[in-house]
Amino acid sequence: MSRAAKIWIGVGIYLLIGIVLFVIFGSEGKNEGFKPQDEFKLHDWIPIHIGGLNLSINRAVLYLWLACILTAVTMIWIARRMQDRPNRVQTIVEGAYDLTYTQISKGNMPGGTAAKYFPFVATLFFFIWFSNMLGYIPLPTSHEKINIFGVDFPAFGLYAATANLSVPLVLTLAVFILYQVEGIRRHGLIRYLKGWLPAGVGGAAAVPIFIIEVISQFVRIISLSVRLFANILAGHLLILFMGGGLAVLLGLAALGWITLPIAVAFYIFEVGLVATLQAFIFATLTSIYFGEASAGGH
Amino acid sequence: MELDYPTFIGAAKTTADGLKSVALGVGAGLGTIGPGIGVGYIFGKVIESVTRQPEMREEITSIQWLGFALTEAIVFYAFIFGLIAFFL
Repeated sequence: MSRAAKIWIGVGIYLLIGIVLFVIFGSEGKNEGFKPQDEFKLHDWIPIHIGGLNLSINRAVLYLWLACILTAVTMIWIARRMQDRPNRVQTIVEGAYDLTYTQISKGNMPGGTAAKYFPFVATLFFFIWFSNMLGYIPLPTSHEKINIFGVDFPAFGLYAATANLSVPLVLTLAVFILYQVEGIRRHGLIRYLKGWLPAGVGGAAAVPIFIIEVISQFVRIISLSVRLFANILAGHLLILFMGGGLAVLLGLAALGWITLPIAVAFYIFEVGLVATLQAFIFATLTSIYFGEASAGGH
Repeated sequence: MELDYPTFIGAAKTTADGLKSVALGVGAGLGTIGPGIGVGYIFGKVIESVTRQPEMREEITSIQWLGFALTEAIVFYAFIFGLIAFFL
């Protein structure tokens, strides 16, 4: 039997099991009780209300702290015990350092700016990376409860600090304000604003083009933050729906059997590519913006 | 963001809610067309350039991932704006 035939027989058996499951269990009708949007709802664990502000400790705060602690502790721990003959972990971290230093910082910023802002860019990269990767480890933080031997345990759920718009937005605002300040400090306000205009534009055309440039500067806030947030959120949604959410919603147990391999494929795609790529993109765009602001002109 | 809306998937109470769900699906689906073409174009061009100049491979790969991520994000812009329209 050829390899292709074996693969087709395997796929056929797999689908057959799905059909058998469908025949045995059938449809239980739509599930009205399960709301997938609740998976991303933030419940106040320790309520702290100051005036109109809600500063409660909730799931997002926990993930944010975890990511912060992980980033700081890993980096300090590895920096403390650097060896001449690096072990595997040190090799990986040195590779990441090289990526953030040569490729992201030096590749996109002029020398002085690169030396000045490399720590900032690298911190962004590592924080976002740890936060993203933490999001793909199921932790018992869901508000849904599972009952094991009469005791309620919180169910395992996926969440990440970066899957909440507020964290990427704050990071983006920090980047936005910092690179504007850097540009103004280096060139002075008037020269910096003039630098937004493309070379060779003058006279009457300068005004409308300047307005477009101003808009494009502010669109960067939206694009930079939403890119990170939406990528992580959409990844979590896909894994949630494919890994059983759809089956529960529609009450079709057989559907879960069919969609589970898709969930595994998406999980590998998200962990292997998207988590690292989004951290890389955020850091690269940050250093491109810094490079643009400090070099002046386009 | 308070998402306590009776309909998210599958439980439309009124025609208007059902139409909103359809609009979200169609909008997000149409939004994937452009980036789909874009991502294919990027990888096609990368294959073309690497076969033409294999020694440039490393440099091209890093630019390729930048372009890929920038293009891919547009799908999610469509999705997010669909969600905003859905929940408003």
